Amino acid sequence: MNSKSYKVKEIISDALELPKDITLDLPKVIILGTDSVSIENHKGIISYKDDQIRINTSCGILTITGSKLVIKSIIQEEIIITGKIVNIEYR
Amino acid sequence: MLILRIWNYLRGYAIIVVKGIKIERFINLAVVNNIYLWDIEKIDYATIKAKISSSDFFKLKSIVKKTDSNIQIIEKCGMPFKIKKMKKRKWFVVGLAILLISIYILSSYIWMIEIYGLKNIDEQVVIENLSHAGLKIGMRKKKINKRKVENKLLIRMPELTWVGVEMKGTKAFIKVVEKGPEPQLINKDEPCDIVASKNGVIEKILVLNGDGMVKDGDTVKKNQLLVSGTIIRNNLPERYVHSMAEVHARTWYEDVEEIPYEQIEYKKSGRVHKTYSLEIVSRKFERDKKIPYEDYNKIEKEIYIFNFGSYVFPIKLIITQYEELVSTTKIISEEEAKTICEERLNAKIKLQIPEDAVILNQRIEYFPNEKSLIGKIYVEVLEDIGVKVRIK
Repeated sequence: MNSKSYKVKEIISDALELPKDITLDLPKVIILGTDSVSIENHKGIISYKDDQIRINTSCGILTITGSKLVIKSIIQEEIIITGKIVNIEYR
Repeated sequence: MLILRIWNYLRGYAIIVVKGIKIERFINLAVVNNIYLWDIEKIDYATIKAKISSSDFFKLKSIVKKTDSNIQIIEKCGMPFKIKKMKKRKWFVVGLAILLISIYILSSYIWMIEIYGLKNIDEQVVIENLSHAGLKIGMRKKKINKRKVENKLLIRMPELTWVGVEMKGTKAFIKVVEKGPEPQLINKDEPCDIVASKNGVIEKILVLNGDGMVKDGDTVKKNQLLVSGTIIRNNLPERYVHSMAEVHARTWYEDVEEIPYEQIEYKKSGRVHKTYSLEIVSRKFERDKKIPYEDYNKIEKEIYIFNFGSYVFPIKLIITQYEELVSTTKIISEEEAKTICEERLNAKIKLQIPEDAVILNQRIEYFPNEKSLIGKIYVEVLEDIGVKVRIK
């Protein structure tokens, strides 16, 4: 995160107005209401429980809490999680 | 992702249950190895349920070994498996195909004719004429030429002024306009006589044109000349005119009705017997019908089983309902018989008297005998009895 190359990349993408999720490999989290979350640029699942899913990303572990969480689809670029979502945090 | 789902459905997929402690690692490895998992559900601490395409399933082997987990297929879904099942149920598929084909074939025929706009003509007559004009139940739709049918029907039935044929689904809709009452046949400039249409006594005769042959108070017979259109004067040649007159005459109507004192009344006993029969195209399939009652009311109901809006297929279920009737004999008094008799006579005589006639007198006479009461009605009316007849 604090490496030199990261900062250079950030400056360049700011200057050229390039989307950071592509240039910096940052996760893009889209929350659709309370029942669907999609995470692009993830780095794999850390833990999966019915009420909590932890997903590794380049800027920390994303924790989604809720109930009846289902991984609707998982590919290398994107995870789609459905269910009743209560909380999303980096922890 | 929907396209991916459809793709997976077409290629076939399995619902699997994976057991193992390193379940997260299992999912991650699957992702890394380009194995698509979807609808992943956690069942309990170390078990998940997921869907996987059938081709990807065999790639899981190495992952299973690495993560030390256990896989079980609980269901196979998708087209390839459906087709496999279908192959086992060969005759079911054949039957389904036959059904679809027969529906397709049947829907290219006409199975029902509906006629609109009829007032006086019987529907059956029109249907009969239609069959001669080239539209019959059971004909192929393609073979029917609507304009031809319309023209032929108009020629066959001069009492119609307009015919419209339309086909929707398996129904043919025939719209018909009947001819109105014919205009008076005799033109105003054609010479004519006026004769009596029935027996009567002239109450008042008002001659507008022609020579009156009768006076007020004369008794006339049917077809007697009332006003002559042939005018004969001394020293002048014969002249013919279109006679016009109002001839009001008293006429009589009578009718008889017999009411027996022993009246048989039918009452529904409440017991109902139903029979069902099937009619396919025009062939009836029925079980032998034994009606368990002596007296009954018969009610028939026809139901088209395959009736989809304008698509009707020629399979009819006919429900015949027999309601048992119990007859009871009742002896009525003379007074009661009289009231019944009067009612019936009034209803009967109304049919005979023309609408524009004025009723002057009405009298009912009763002739009682041992078993029944005979009632006679006499009605005296005032009506126009003049009818124009062309002079030959």
